[in-house]
Amino acid sequence: MVKILPKVLANLLRKPFTVKYPYEKVEPADGYRGKPSITKEKCIRCWQCIRACPDRAISVDKETKTPVIWLGRCTFCGECAEACPTKAIVMTKNFEFLDQYEK
Amino acid sequence: MTMVVPIGPQHPALKEPEYFRFEVKGEEIVDVDIYFGYAHRGIEETLARRNYKHNIYLSERICGICNICHSTCYCQAVERVAGIEPPERAKYIRSLILELERIHSHMLWLAVAAHEIGFDTLFMLAMRDREHVMDMREIISGGRVHSATNTIGGVRRDVTPEQIPKLMEKLDKLEESVKYYINLFQTDRTIKSRCANVGVLTKEDAIKLCAVGPVARASGVKTDIRVEDPYAAYPNLSFEVITEDDGDVLAKGMVRLREMLESIKMSRQILRELPSGPLRVPVDLKIPPNEAVQRVEAPRGELLYYIRSNGTEMPERVRVRTPTYASAPSLKPMFVGGTVAEIPIVLWSLDVCFACNDRVTLVDAKTGKVSVVTMEELRRWRK
Amino acid sequence: MNTILDILSFLFNSIVFPGLLFVSVVGMLYVGIDRKVTGHLQHRIGPPIWQEFLDFGKLMTKEDITPSAAIGPVFTAAPLFALGSLAAVMLLLPVASAQPALRLTADLIVIIYLLNIPAICMILGGYSSGSSFAIAGAGRYIVQLLGYEFVFILSIAAIAVKVGTLNLTDIVSYQAKNGWLLLDWKLLPAIVATLIAAQGKLLRTPFDIPEAETEIVAGPLTEYSGPKLAIWRISYNAETIAVAALLVSLFLGGPTAYTIGNVRIPAVVDFLIKTFLIVMLTTVVRNIVARVRIDQALKFYWTFGILLAAISLILVMVVPQW
Repeated sequence: MVKILPKVLANLLRKPFTVKYPYEKVEPADGYRGKPSITKEKCIRCWQCIRACPDRAISVDKETKTPVIWLGRCTFCGECAEACPTKAIVMTKNFEFLDQYEK
Repeated sequence: MTMVVPIGPQHPALKEPEYFRFEVKGEEIVDVDIYFGYAHRGIEETLARRNYKHNIYLSERICGICNICHSTCYCQAVERVAGIEPPERAKYIRSLILELERIHSHMLWLAVAAHEIGFDTLFMLAMRDREHVMDMREIISGGRVHSATNTIGGVRRDVTPEQIPKLMEKLDKLEESVKYYINLFQTDRTIKSRCANVGVLTKEDAIKLCAVGPVARASGVKTDIRVEDPYAAYPNLSFEVITEDDGDVLAKGMVRLREMLESIKMSRQILRELPSGPLRVPVDLKIPPNEAVQRVEAPRGELLYYIRSNGTEMPERVRVRTPTYASAPSLKPMFVGGTVAEIPIVLWSLDVCFACNDRVTLVDAKTGKVSVVTMEELRRWRK
Repeated sequence: MNTILDILSFLFNSIVFPGLLFVSVVGMLYVGIDRKVTGHLQHRIGPPIWQEFLDFGKLMTKEDITPSAAIGPVFTAAPLFALGSLAAVMLLLPVASAQPALRLTADLIVIIYLLNIPAICMILGGYSSGSSFAIAGAGRYIVQLLGYEFVFILSIAAIAVKVGTLNLTDIVSYQAKNGWLLLDWKLLPAIVATLIAAQGKLLRTPFDIPEAETEIVAGPLTEYSGPKLAIWRISYNAETIAVAALLVSLFLGGPTAYTIGNVRIPAVVDFLIKTFLIVMLTTVVRNIVARVRIDQALKFYWTFGILLAAISLILVMVVPQW
């Protein structure tokens, strides 16, 4: 009760720990597993990513014959990026998006 | 004349859906029935339908708070079934993330416990300091909650030398605040008035009802899987098993807080003594028929995985026994004799995690035989 | 002509200043500041200080629901009566000057009564809403009312005995002559007891037992929503000001006008500053303690609180004036 008082009053003078998030961005650490991105040109169509994906979130796009990721199913484990022999799939730091197909 | 007070499945004191039926006489609780099964997701069945590697990520999803314990336990069980040994460096990194998870889980416990007794300032401050651990986990594993670091035969990500000073600095900050909370918990009168002599679990009851983890340790039972059945890098780490004698909510809190200090000490030791070497060994996932049981000391207590392989890439049976399930019977002696106002804090003193728990219940009802086998396994491993 | 003026001024007093409008706006602003300061004390940003106005506006536009299990008329009337009693009590408290808008001979007793009506309305609203959480909360509120009210009355009695009057205006003018009662060592225990009782009256931690959210959702207010909840919010905010105003008049000398240099500072400013200090005191206290149990709260009030108030009362009666 009394013990916490100085700590609490000191907080009044300090800058708040929280940030106004949508206006003030916080950069995630290096190596963060965010939205996976596919470079179509690098893809050699080995489909290792489809085998590696634990959520069956990756399928083949009928028109371009390249993998597409269903982000609604993706759990951002990074197995596809690890499995890709040409580094066509990489994990970006982006975490602000809605459910959508990554093409 | 008793009255029935239903708590749950939806109730602000419960963070997850579960049903408690309290029989009260005025304010005093005379009996309690616990009904589990509201968060059942059929995970054990799903685990038997996917291959070993994909299952790592499913086992992580059994519980968000202790996801690393689940994946570590699963990977170690598969390694035991396949008869492979992960490299030393992988073991150390596993221990590091396990200890970080213990800190973050106990910090969350502290925050929610403070909220349950109406101490919202402590809730906010504990959540603030928990952020340091989350940052550390983000640096090491690339994810704030689901680490996805474990894999069969080792770990997927390395701790680089550049990261170590950053981690050490955060550990220092954390140690300072944990020491402050220990001091606060010991001296604050309002916290004491809500937590001391509330929800007492005696040593006899703890042993009789097979309580695990911090709940048992707070009642003076010296049980810790890290010592009894060492795994990962724990045989090489120095730490002491924290016990308290009182068995009340305050003792359970103190056990958790002091465990955090031990975890910080261990994390430092791991970062200092990290051996060099490969991160993972290659594994052939067509595992011949075999079975294994693996135990891990999760933040809430003993976590148990049983895996049976049948020569294919998929396990035939995976059985998970989570710590909340083991500790749930000890809720009854903790509640009976108390008052209605104590329900939230006593319930939370167990650090209940129903998401883990409910995957268990329905499978129990469906395949009772398997559960009996597991209980025998359990007894064999305990002694 | 004079009668019409009287009626007009009465209407102005009760609806605009210092009645309904003034007390609601200032109350919402102070509770907004309270929330902001709470945020900063907890090392976070917190809501903007006009958050209470936004909440009020939002709640007013929502659908008005009366649960079918509720006793409709009582359920609806409870928040209105609470707000009405608080507007009335503001007429009896000195705000703009040492003189209240309405003068009565023994207004202290009326004020104590009127300040209890919001609590009683909340209990009635809780019991009539038909929710088990609300009934549990109302039951707890009754116990708490028995706890803090006795301490509150006893410590006010100590002050009344000291000054020798039951008239708030006389207490304020006594302080203008002899200095603030806060500085009187004999009354210090009673003043501490009053502050503790005010903490319980305003349902702030550690005495927010009737609306302990982890135990009984929102207590008596569980079933309230929309405009009715908005009126409850306003009456809670007004209650904060009314209780603070009473404490200011009792031992902080009431509103006084000052002249600094050539600038004359009106008494309202003094009133606002003093009530603000009282509100901030309760804010800090509510942020450094945990909620106690209802039995512990009652025990605390009936031993420690009454002891403090009784010491003062005895001191005031026994120790001669010097």
